[in-house]
Amino acid sequence: MKKWKLITLAIIIFAFIGFNYVFKDHRNINKEAPEFKLNAEDLTTEFQINPEKSETKYLNKTISVSGVISEIDKSGVTISNQVFCVFDDKAKLEIKHNQNINIKGRFIGYDDLLEIIKLDQCSIINN
Amino acid sequence: MKKIFYIFLLLLSYFIQGQSKYITKTGLISFEASVPSFEEVTARNNAVTAIINTQNGEFASLALVNGFRFKNALMEEHFNENYAESSEFPKTTFKGKIIEFSLKSNEYKIEGDLTFHGKTKSLKNIPIKLEIIDNEIIMSGNFEVKTSDFEVKIPKIVANKVSELVKVNFLFKLIKK
Repeated sequence: MKKWKLITLAIIIFAFIGFNYVFKDHRNINKEAPEFKLNAEDLTTEFQINPEKSETKYLNKTISVSGVISEIDKSGVTISNQVFCVFDDKAKLEIKHNQNINIKGRFIGYDDLLEIIKLDQCSIINN
Repeated sequence: MKKIFYIFLLLLSYFIQGQSKYITKTGLISFEASVPSFEEVTARNNAVTAIINTQNGEFASLALVNGFRFKNALMEEHFNENYAESSEFPKTTFKGKIIEFSLKSNEYKIEGDLTFHGKTKSLKNIPIKLEIIDNEIIMSGNFEVKTSDFEVKIPKIVANKVSELVKVNFLFKLIKK
């Protein structure tokens, strides 16, 4: 009888682990600590020197970038003309042109058509 | 009088050249490789770059593969690690030309080269719609590709849940630069 209880328990545990594996949550970039902290100019310089190596270095990592807002789009902002940050929900943000800002996001790659760096799932870090 | 005419012409050419590019950084591409009655296999990327040169109808687009988001986090992980291999091939691009581009009609065809997973395939006669409103061009359309065209291998164990034929939709709101 005890054996059955153990087997049932084991099945429940495995089902639970399996369910969590298949339906696991997305990364929460907002809660992750940035692996790299840079300003927009330094980051851009790295890409001008060696775009491929730099892309591999940062790809899919959470980084924080500081700089001046140069452009505001419907779904994101551009810092120092070089780093484009996409927010999941921009409506709540209070930002304006030429404002100094520090943004955390996930590096998704280097866009060599426009020569800009792209981050997604961004959030503003308050100092 | 002749001089003024040339100066005018020069200014005009500068004017035309300066206004010939339409750009977006927030274009939308989504794709679907679902099989009916199984979990949907679909993802979207809302940070796609696209450029139209209205002087000659040339079009270029670039999407970062890591920017494709799935509902299911595990599916997203598998897409990046096993199918698209995004750490090795972080970009997907399209470079081509809108045929008989004139800014007068709303329907065109586009042809060009699509690169994904390090492989390039020529696409021909893809119908597109263009809506031109003041300083904005809205371009939309869809096409289908096969996973085998890009040497994306679907493991046998999930072969009946992921379609070989992938439907791609795009929508770009390009702004005059």
